Amino acid sequence: MGERLIPGIQQAVMNAFQYTLFYLIFSLPLTLSYRTTKVINFAHANFITYGAYVAIFLHGVLGLNNMSLAVVIAFLVTGAIAVINNVFVFTPLQKRGSSPAIIMISSMGLWIAYKYLLYMITDVAHYYTTKNFVSYGRITYSDVPRGSIGGIEFSQALVASLVAALLIVALLYLLLEKTKIGRAMRAVADNPLLAEISGIPRSLIVNLTWLVCGGIVGIGGVIWTSFSGAITPEVGDSMILQVFTVGFIGGLISLLRTGIGAALIATIENVGIAILNTYFGTPVSFRPFLTFATLITTLIAFPPLGAGGGLPYRFLRRGSKK
Amino acid sequence: MIGFDVVGFLISWLTLFGIYAILSLTLNLESGTAGITNFGKVVFYGVGAYISATLTTYLILMLNGVDVSETPPYDIRGVILLSELGKKNPLLNIGLLVSSLVIAFVMSGALGYLLTYPILRVGPAFVGFTLLSSGELLRIFLQHYEPVGASKGLMAIPTPFEWVADSRVREAAYLGLVLGLLALTYVVTHKLVNSPLGRTLRALRDDEIAALCLGKHVPRIKATVLFIGSGFAGIAGVLLSYYLTSVNPNMFVPAVTFNVWAMIILGGFGNLRGSLLGAAVITFVDRILTFVTPQLGITIISPDYLRWVVVGLLIVVVLLVNPRGILPEKPIKTPALDVMWEELRGESK
Repeated sequence: MGERLIPGIQQAVMNAFQYTLFYLIFSLPLTLSYRTTKVINFAHANFITYGAYVAIFLHGVLGLNNMSLAVVIAFLVTGAIAVINNVFVFTPLQKRGSSPAIIMISSMGLWIAYKYLLYMITDVAHYYTTKNFVSYGRITYSDVPRGSIGGIEFSQALVASLVAALLIVALLYLLLEKTKIGRAMRAVADNPLLAEISGIPRSLIVNLTWLVCGGIVGIGGVIWTSFSGAITPEVGDSMILQVFTVGFIGGLISLLRTGIGAALIATIENVGIAILNTYFGTPVSFRPFLTFATLITTLIAFPPLGAGGGLPYRFLRRGSKK
Repeated sequence: MIGFDVVGFLISWLTLFGIYAILSLTLNLESGTAGITNFGKVVFYGVGAYISATLTTYLILMLNGVDVSETPPYDIRGVILLSELGKKNPLLNIGLLVSSLVIAFVMSGALGYLLTYPILRVGPAFVGFTLLSSGELLRIFLQHYEPVGASKGLMAIPTPFEWVADSRVREAAYLGLVLGLLALTYVVTHKLVNSPLGRTLRALRDDEIAALCLGKHVPRIKATVLFIGSGFAGIAGVLLSYYLTSVNPNMFVPAVTFNVWAMIILGGFGNLRGSLLGAAVITFVDRILTFVTPQLGITIISPDYLRWVVVGLLIVVVLLVNPRGILPEKPIKTPALDVMWEELRGESK
C-alpha cells in the first residue's frame, strides 16, 4: 500500500535498517569513549576511514579479499591510533589541566593530520600499483555469505553488519556489566578521582577504552567497504554529522539512547528523504539537512546538559537585570 | 629559481595575508577571547564570497541588458560576456564592491546570530560541532544549487579594479583595499577586546557560571560577538572572491577553518598581534610552496597533502609544547593598569 504512495519505500526501509547497523557500530564507541575519557574526539572520523582503507589496501595492494582478516587488522590499526592519540596528546594535555575545549581543538588538529596522511599513503600506493585508491569500488569478500531469505535480499554488507552489530552490542554488554574491567570502566566514567583512589589503574583503563572504541569503529569501516560503491578518504568525514548527532541524542552518556538515536537518524534520513523526494523533488544528496534539523531540534528541545560543559540556560527565562 | 618575481610574490602574499588575517583576528575575538569554539568559520567566509560573486556577476550582466535567464553567468557564454562587460564602467564596479561588502557583512553576521540561538545554550563541543556541520551543509547546498553554478561555481567575476589597464597597478590597488579593510578589522577588534565588553568576554571564557552569576547575559553577549566576527568573515569572503575571480563549493572545506585555527594557536590565543603574526607565517609558507611546487615537477606525494598534515600537526604540537603561542595573551589595557605599571616602575608623581 505504501508502495503506491511513495515509490521505493521498501528500499528506503531496508536502507534505514542497514544504516541503523552502521550508525550503531560507529556511534556506540563515541559515547563510550566520551563518557570514560571526557574527550570529545573529532578524530573519530579517522577511525572509520582508516578501517575502510585497511581493507582497501589488503584488497588492492596484496590482493586479499578475506573480511575476517581485514577486521582483525583494522581493529588493531585503528585501536592503536586511538591509543597513540591518547598517550601522546590527550593525556599530556589533561595532566596539564587544559580545558576540554583545548583538548577538542587538539583532536581537530589530529583529524586534519590523519586525513591528509591517508591521502599521502594513497598517493604512494597509487605510485606503486597504478590503481586508483582515491575512489575505490565495492569489495566482494570471499568469506561472507549472501543470498535472499523470504524475498529479502541479504547483501554481504547486511550480513556482516548484522553479525558485527549483534556481536559488538553483546560483547560490550558482557564487558561492561559482567567483568571487572567493565566495572572499572564504568567507575572511571562516573568519577575518575574516586576510581583512582579505590585502586583502579585509571590510565590503563582509559587506554583500554580507546583501544576498544577505536577498534570497533575500524571494524565498521571495513564493513563499509562491502556496502559503498565509491570509497574515498572522505568517507569518515561524510558520516561525522550523523555519527555525532546519534551520540548527542544519547547525551554522550547513555549507550541505550545512542542505539535508539542510531535507528532514529537512519529512519529520518532514508525514509524522510524518500518522502521529500517523491512529493517535493528534493535531491537525495540533501539527506544531511534532515540530520542537521534533528540535531538542532535535539539541542533546543533536549539540551544535553552536563555533557560538554553545557549550562542550563533553559531555566534562565529572562535577561539579567543590571 | 630563475626569474623569481619578487614584487609579484609580495603582492600575492600580502593580499592573501590580508584576507586570512581578517579571519584570524575575528576568530581570535570569538574563540581566543570569548571562548566560543567556532569550527565553522568557513560558513561565513563562504557566504560572503558567494554573495559578492552572485551579486557582481548577475548585476553586471543585467545592467548591461543581458537576459540572465538565457545567458546565466555560470554558462560559458555568460563567462565570455562577463570578461568583456566587466571593464566598461568603473563606477559600477566600485559600487558593486561597496554593496557586496555591506550585504555580505549583514548577511553573514545575521547567519552567525541566528545559528547562536540553539547552540550557545549548550557546551563548547556542541557549538563546535554544529558550526562544523553547517559548513558541510553549505557546501552540499552550493554543489546542488544551479543559480550559483552548482559544482562548477561562478567564474570570471569582474574585480573592482578591472578597468585599470596595467595588471601590476590593478593588483597593487586591490592590495591597498585588502590592507585597508584589514586595518579596519584590527581597529574594531582591538577596541572590542580592550573594552568592558572584552573583559566580560574573558570572564565568559574563563568561567561561564561565574559570569552568569555576576549577572552577565551570556547567550546574548556570545551572539553579539558571533555577529561581529561572522560579519567580518563575510567581508574576507568578498575579498577572496574578487581576488581569485572565481568561487566554487570545494574552496570552502572544513580544512580552511583549521588553517585559521592553526594561525591563532601559533600566534597566541587571545592576542590580536599574535593572530596577525600567525596569519603572516602560514600564508607566507603557503605562497612559497605555491611558487616552489611547479619547480619540483611531478612528485609521488602531492605537496598540498603534506601541507595539510603539517598544519594539523602544528596545531597539536603548539598546544602540547607552548599552548600560549608565540605572543602570549596580555592584560587588557585599562587606565587603572597604566597607573599600576607607573607606580610599579616608580614613575608616579
